[in-house]
Amino acid sequence: MFDMLMLGLNDALRLDTFIWIGGGLLLGMLVGALPGFTTSMGMSVLVPISFLVGDPLIGIPFLIGVYKGGIYGGSVPAILISMPGTGASIATVLDGYALTKKGQSRKALEMSLFSSGLSDFFSDIFTLVMIIPVATVVLGFGPPEIAAVMFLSLVIIAVTSAGPAVKGLIMLGLGIWVGFVGADPFSAMARYTFGTTELYDGFHLIPILIGLFALPEIFNAVKEGDTRGKRISTFVGERLRLQELKSSFRTILRSTMIGTGIGIVPGLGQPIAAMMGYIAAKNASKYPEKFGKGELDGVAAAESANNAVNGPTMVPLLTLGIPGDSVTALLLGAFMMQGLRPGPTLLESSGNVVFAILIAMIFANVLFVIIGYLAIPLFARVVTIKKSLLIPVTIMLAFAGTYLARSNPFDIITLISFGLIGIAARAAKFDVAPMVMGFILGRELEYAFGQTLALAGDNWIHFAFGERLGMTAILLATPLVGAILGFRMNRFRKRSLDSDRK
Amino acid sequence: MSFLAKNLLTKKLAIWVMQLWIIFLGQLIYQESLAQYPEKPITLITPFAAGGSSDLIARVFTTYLNSYLAQPMLIRLVPGQAGQKGTLEAIRATPDGYTLVFIDNYRDQLHQYTFPNDFYDTNEDLVTVARINYGQIAIIVRATGPYQSWDEFLVAARAGSGQLKMAHSGLWAALFVPAWRIMQEFDLRFRMIPYRGGGPAKAALMAGDVDFSMAFPATVVQDVEAGKVRILATAGPERTIKGVPSFTEIGLAPGTGYIHRIVMAPAGIADDRLAVLQDALQQLQMDKDYQAAMARLGENLEYLTGPAYELVRRQQSAEYAELVSTLTSRP
Repeated sequence: MFDMLMLGLNDALRLDTFIWIGGGLLLGMLVGALPGFTTSMGMSVLVPISFLVGDPLIGIPFLIGVYKGGIYGGSVPAILISMPGTGASIATVLDGYALTKKGQSRKALEMSLFSSGLSDFFSDIFTLVMIIPVATVVLGFGPPEIAAVMFLSLVIIAVTSAGPAVKGLIMLGLGIWVGFVGADPFSAMARYTFGTTELYDGFHLIPILIGLFALPEIFNAVKEGDTRGKRISTFVGERLRLQELKSSFRTILRSTMIGTGIGIVPGLGQPIAAMMGYIAAKNASKYPEKFGKGELDGVAAAESANNAVNGPTMVPLLTLGIPGDSVTALLLGAFMMQGLRPGPTLLESSGNVVFAILIAMIFANVLFVIIGYLAIPLFARVVTIKKSLLIPVTIMLAFAGTYLARSNPFDIITLISFGLIGIAARAAKFDVAPMVMGFILGRELEYAFGQTLALAGDNWIHFAFGERLGMTAILLATPLVGAILGFRMNRFRKRSLDSDRK
Repeated sequence: MSFLAKNLLTKKLAIWVMQLWIIFLGQLIYQESLAQYPEKPITLITPFAAGGSSDLIARVFTTYLNSYLAQPMLIRLVPGQAGQKGTLEAIRATPDGYTLVFIDNYRDQLHQYTFPNDFYDTNEDLVTVARINYGQIAIIVRATGPYQSWDEFLVAARAGSGQLKMAHSGLWAALFVPAWRIMQEFDLRFRMIPYRGGGPAKAALMAGDVDFSMAFPATVVQDVEAGKVRILATAGPERTIKGVPSFTEIGLAPGTGYIHRIVMAPAGIADDRLAVLQDALQQLQMDKDYQAAMARLGENLEYLTGPAYELVRRQQSAEYAELVSTLTSRP
């Protein structure tokens, strides 16, 4: 293996590879920064370029650049205009936009960039070193374990939501119910569709995200009255200090571990990683009451967790030929177009190329930070735009982004409806984040749970205690984890209320 | 009235303007008659999500097709409603040859029975431009598992009284339909476990969560070589892998387990435009780069012209009607 690693290192150090990675990163950042344009959509359009160049050490790193850039790019509108363009940015919006409102958008963008770059770097090294041992673990995570992890995640989100726990539970329940709208995943029978075909596939995530997070902000800005001449900030904001990055280093490491662990398991994905990283940081913080009000650590936690997912998703893809999501499915196609067939014998037949790609992935993080750093002053300038211009542009982006995602006019109705729900929730001081997570997790949990039931058959006891001890262990730990976190969060809530009164 | 106004209103000038107008119109009509279809990019609606095999194949053939069409063919992904949304959008488009759809035989012929709708009938509303290729499914088991051959598997399935677990990629999709056909043909019951695509279904098999699955041989070549997966039978009348029986040999209908990938156009498309598209696709088959790209994907080049595939469609319709009718006679 060491020989292959050295050969890979030799192959990876090519100027043209890095030029193409740079191009991919830039395109990815632009794609990710456009609300509604997801990373997989961008990669799908760019796949032909990767196979037309005819060299695996150009085509594949180029697409990986798009992937990395796209996940980071999603944080830009989340931070600047409270518009998470993808599910991966759902936790970034909570503190990122609060920082922008404080005039610290540049700081937030830089924290997002550095934490993304660092976590990507660490998780890529983990992928390179652990690819073979981890591959054997991956298959141990089937639908029962995924369902148990989803359930645990739901419990964690419910007990740690901002504000009173009851309100968090209501929003979570509402989100789960919204996720049930559409065809039943097993029988394809329509549920809550009211006879319409538009609801057959259920609601789409993008209009829900934009509606719940961005439209209430637009509404508030319009409500402020005369907006002529006003800006969110008159300057692009201070830069991130090295001390601030250092103080978030523990958070970045913690989130990297969470994101890496989630990335290994096909089917969990960035939104869960981002939320779990954020909650873990909030729980570990001395000042959790500051989270959601413009805490740099919150941005670091969310962004490092979602980017740490990128590298490990390559493990099941390269070693087993199993793509965990649409992005890795596209990468699988790109590998095959280059004559490389991901699977158990890929490392034996083309180990040097695989290691060269993984090493290029690690070096790509350096380029990623450089390109991102150069782009930040441009992005950050958004806050200096007059509100009278920024508000209409934001409205246009919200509607265009929604339509762009699926070209479905019904999504516009969804956007407006969830915008109204978001405005009402804000007025009643309900946190919308549990609703979005309920929506994302609820439908996935339902699917994994249905698979688990089908796998278990009639003999549940044997299934739980004989075949699926991992699932049983997670389920048994869930009430304990929920109780500990809930107790801690209640204490923080009280402290937060006391400080608000003072 | 000024000198200029007086002259503008003169009869002579009016005739002169009219003559110019007629010449201009004539020129426009002449240009139009000379214009070659296609004058603008063609939209190929793909009613699937990004990242699937259909998306990838569409991107491959449209990339190389650009050399044989005057304008590029651009893919528009319109996923949703088991493919019905994108299909409906193509059907509702003007049949001018600028909107086409890339679907498979299940969406084209099977779903009319399994997911009926009031909005369209593919038999009436779509015509075949050409079949790009087809895939032949294979029955797969774990190489270390108890089944060394189809016969052993069949014995176990009969003895298992419905307890054998099968991983499929979604209701009435590529892996599900052949398994249903096997149940019907051999009077068997399987526990059908859904997964999101062929990749997760294969993972479930390798993890030992299920007893068998289906896959296109190209997607399991490495697993077979590595001694992790065994192929028990492959679709078609003849053997495609040495020592592995064909579906016909084990007693399945000849059409079982085929996925046909087809480019279709809304009914009413002009014959000359259809011919332009068919010519371009026919020429594409000779393109060496295209051939190499499809080979790398493990895809065949079993191209079929529109009229020839229309005959296959009719046959499929009858087979699927009969297959789905067994739904009502089974628990």
